Amino acid sequence: MSKIFEKLKVLADAAKYDASCASSGSKRFNQNKGLGNAEGMGICHSYTEDGRCVSLLKILFTNHCIYDCAYCVSRRSNDVRRAAFTVEEVVDLTINFYRRNYIEGLFLSSGIFKNPDYTMERLVRVAKQLRLNHNFHGYIHLKAIPGASPELLKEAGLYADRLSVNIELPSETSLQKVAPEKQYRDILGPMNYLKEEKEERSDHRPQRSKTQLFLPAGQSTQMIVGASPESDLQVLRLADSLYQRQKLKRVYYSGYIPIATDNRVPALKAPPLIRENRVYQADWLMRFYQFSVDEIVNEATPNLDLDIDPKLSYALRNRHLFPVDINQADYEMILRIPGVGVKSAQKIVSSRIYQKLNIDHLQRIGVVMKRARYFIKCPGLYNANSDISSEDLRSLILSGEQQNSLQLALFS
Amino acid sequence: MATYCYDGSFEGLLTVIFRAFEHRSIPEQIISTEYKQLGLLASAFTVNTDELLAERVLRGIDKRTDNRGSRLIYHMFLSEQDGAEMTIFHLVKNLVDKGDILSNFGNPYVAKAYQMDKMIGREVHRMHAFVRFQKVADADMYFAIINPSCNVLPLIGEHFVKRYADQKWIIWDAVRNYGIYYDLQREIFIEPDHPLLKTLVESSKQEDCYQQLWVDYFNSVNIRERKNTKLHLRHMPKRYWRYLTEKHSR
Repeated sequence: MSKIFEKLKVLADAAKYDASCASSGSKRFNQNKGLGNAEGMGICHSYTEDGRCVSLLKILFTNHCIYDCAYCVSRRSNDVRRAAFTVEEVVDLTINFYRRNYIEGLFLSSGIFKNPDYTMERLVRVAKQLRLNHNFHGYIHLKAIPGASPELLKEAGLYADRLSVNIELPSETSLQKVAPEKQYRDILGPMNYLKEEKEERSDHRPQRSKTQLFLPAGQSTQMIVGASPESDLQVLRLADSLYQRQKLKRVYYSGYIPIATDNRVPALKAPPLIRENRVYQADWLMRFYQFSVDEIVNEATPNLDLDIDPKLSYALRNRHLFPVDINQADYEMILRIPGVGVKSAQKIVSSRIYQKLNIDHLQRIGVVMKRARYFIKCPGLYNANSDISSEDLRSLILSGEQQNSLQLALFS
Repeated sequence: MATYCYDGSFEGLLTVIFRAFEHRSIPEQIISTEYKQLGLLASAFTVNTDELLAERVLRGIDKRTDNRGSRLIYHMFLSEQDGAEMTIFHLVKNLVDKGDILSNFGNPYVAKAYQMDKMIGREVHRMHAFVRFQKVADADMYFAIINPSCNVLPLIGEHFVKRYADQKWIIWDAVRNYGIYYDLQREIFIEPDHPLLKTLVESSKQEDCYQQLWVDYFNSVNIRERKNTKLHLRHMPKRYWRYLTEKHSR
């Protein structure tokens, strides 16, 4: 039994750099009084001290690896403790953690041992045992191993809710430099194959029963930011193309954490967490706020402003579109006001039917007025700063926020 | 203007609303007998709960709101927020006077109602996350204790029934001193004198082992270079740590 403690420590530690944590978006219901239910919203059961969510039992099957990717702790040339689970051990941990409500399910990745198919076959076997032998309906996310055969990927899709192949670096050149054994072809290949397989199955849905779900939560991927010279424009264009062409559900970004000295990757003092955060904000603007990549970053400004969020940055670059009249503007334009989120925008549109909205109404609705006030027009709001330059407005907003955090610091 | 006093039940509150409308009066305050203070006794108007009247009020609300209203005010009631009773009264009065105003977030009572709804919704979601079952030694039964800030038990049972259809479990609210028991067929509410509670002997060697594995796992997935205590505490406020296996056993 003591062996399992050791294995779990090593193989959880090695898996933690994968940013993916989602457990939502599946359509898997509990059936025949089995264990687990993966319909609807995901749940974060805990949060580590770095503030990241713990939703799934996220482990590697093994950290033995035949590859030597510079950014990865498990690379062949790195001197770390190695371990490997058995299929039964992973199944037992998953079931027992799930029964105690620690997790939503399993996220199983792996170093590549022997060859891609051999590795993929093990991952599929875990998922298959959980589904068929244990009547388990919780969430399962498997890594699709680059280079694995289509038959295995297809089988994986029958038991897993989500599959992911990590694109790792934002350009093929950078990938070649740090991961000589990997190519975009081996990564986009499985993505395309799975996309087509899923589409074909959903075209024939009527004659298929509910039990034959195929990747109900779709695919995701991860990109490392800050380990290579690409601009945010390149990062976001690649993400956009993955959303459009490979139909990915999520792209995760991982600020490069200098995990070891290898001269193929830069030696950073600290991970670029602010940049990572800004890239995520930009990704949200594309997915939920109807922004196109070029509206967020473009050839003139290829990188995101680290001091302010990309939505504010857009508003400051496009002052001619503001102030927005709260009582007249389209939903799409309301959504673009800094300080107005998706929920507030919907509330504004549904409430202005009943009366003309004034500043009190907006506060009630939950609009962040100290941010929005510079970009809106509504009764009760006197906008003294309407002819101030964008640059001055930027410092005005920034200084206001600094003052706030100063006050908070005084009272904490 | 009068103080209305009710027995603390949802049906009791609905009966108060019925009586106030009947009297064409706006209550000065609505209080539960539990919280009734001596000074108020003299002028308080005590309402006896009447389930038929309560049902009529609920039907009236749903008729005006496309069936959305009754659920909303039930959530407001369970949120146990200060002033919930009076907000519910005013919301119902607005619905009667103005028709379906539930999509008008500019209305102060609607705004407040959704704030309370959000509050309890967040607590429900937290309890979906923070329930930690322990397997009871020598019994095929899982047991969890929670300390939620709202009265969420009536709202969380269904989620756990769907998820743990094949195991018996009890979730106990330590603040309100009652629980839900699922016996593989249905969920029932249980009180502190329920005989089942006496049979719960804590923990076995196997249980300790899985708890330790979970604590080890929790610590192993942390990335030290990214330490962010503020964020950690925002997501997992200290008040919940007491019953979180991964936070209390250290």
